[in-house]
Amino acid sequence: MNLELTMQRQQKIKMLGLIGLVMVVFMSFNTLSAQNAQNVERSISGLVSNEDGPLLGVNVTLKDTRIGTTTDEDGKFTFPKKLINGDVLIFSYLGYETQKMTIEAKTSFIKLELTTDMVEMIGALDTGKPYKSKRKKS
Amino acid sequence: MKIYSLIITSLFSIFSYAQIQDFKSINFEKADNIALVNKGENLYNLPDLTYKLTDGLTTDVEKFRAIYVWVCQNIANDYGLYHLNKSKRERFKNDSIKFNAWTTKFRKKLFKKLLNNKRTICTGYAYMLKTLCDLADLECEIIQGYGRVSTTNIENLELPNHSWNAIKLNGKWYLCDPTWASGIPDPETNNFTYNYNDGFFLANPKLFAINHFPIDHKWWLLDDEVPTFRAFLASPIIYGSAYKHLDQHGKPKQMHHVLKKGEALIFEYLTKTTLKKSDVRFYIDSGYNQWKTEPTSQVISGKTLLLKHQFKSKGYFDVHLYLKENLIATYTVEVK
Repeated sequence: MNLELTMQRQQKIKMLGLIGLVMVVFMSFNTLSAQNAQNVERSISGLVSNEDGPLLGVNVTLKDTRIGTTTDEDGKFTFPKKLINGDVLIFSYLGYETQKMTIEAKTSFIKLELTTDMVEMIGALDTGKPYKSKRKKS
Repeated sequence: MKIYSLIITSLFSIFSYAQIQDFKSINFEKADNIALVNKGENLYNLPDLTYKLTDGLTTDVEKFRAIYVWVCQNIANDYGLYHLNKSKRERFKNDSIKFNAWTTKFRKKLFKKLLNNKRTICTGYAYMLKTLCDLADLECEIIQGYGRVSTTNIENLELPNHSWNAIKLNGKWYLCDPTWASGIPDPETNNFTYNYNDGFFLANPKLFAINHFPIDHKWWLLDDEVPTFRAFLASPIIYGSAYKHLDQHGKPKQMHHVLKKGEALIFEYLTKTTLKKSDVRFYIDSGYNQWKTEPTSQVISGKTLLLKHQFKSKGYFDVHLYLKENLIATYTVEVK
């Protein structure tokens, strides 16, 4: 009796183990193929404009590096290094809000409109000249 | 003398020290050198400029230091732009459509001038600092408000006229004013002379509060009660050099005083270094004559400076305090 029970139990364990193994193999194949499909190095290009049209001279830089390019007269750029998912591009031009864009599975062409930084421009100058009271002319 | 010492101990024991003291273990020489090496760089590639200014620096305060010093030493203050903006803003202040149209037009003009000529007005400095900090992943804000200087209409500030910055370092906010730290503009020639004043770097909020009034209350960064606008407009005038020599300006709280003949005015300061009695002078202007004088009495105890000056004749006096030949503050005294 005992022997039979033990054998049944062992068979069950073997069966479960086999199912587990199949699942692990299946899942790893699945992730591998997903990575192959999505996360290859690829060329990224784009078009940057403002409210008036294409913007010349926008800096496009890979975050935490000095690798980058600038947009041409038509606002277009092709990034000089092939990029992968998760890379972050920084779009910068003085007077416009700096924008960050993460490369995703679908990214190949980036179309972006930069918005003007809406800061109100004011200024008090300190000439360092001594204060002089206004006095009545005598 | 004993009474003076007692007063000093009780008053200044509650004063906090300059915020830069939080970083006294850090030597800024490396950051300052990086700023110097990159002198003359243009603004056409800000990510690259940020990289050059912060590469090799490990702490946030050093990265901020390099960016801040670079901005102060490479961006010029443009008096012509300032004057143009000031007159237009005053002209359109009751016409919101024209006022807003001007603001938009001027912003474009200003960004163009900053990009191509590295010349600007206050907000340009504050903006430049924030933009470079953003690129270096440092948390920096532009603060808009009122700045009080000797040449503005000091009792009647109607429109906000000044911008400065707050920077978060190790979880704590600090204040700095890159515009006033940068140098001295000459209204007559529109020339700008770079003359970096380190006193505006992480300055004590209590000293800042004497000539900076933020529109948004959270930027006072004061533990105790914040000044009212009326009290702010009645404050003494302090100059750039005050930030070099003073940690705090204690008394008098007001600019203008009315005294009887023979009465004295009391002055209290917390200085950055221990001064000698010969470092302290008043220049007094009666409208007819100007003269240099020592305070009637003075007590120096460590970094606290307590002065008393007696006015022996009637008249209306501009009283300028000088420390080590630098103009620190102005008060007016009417003696009846």
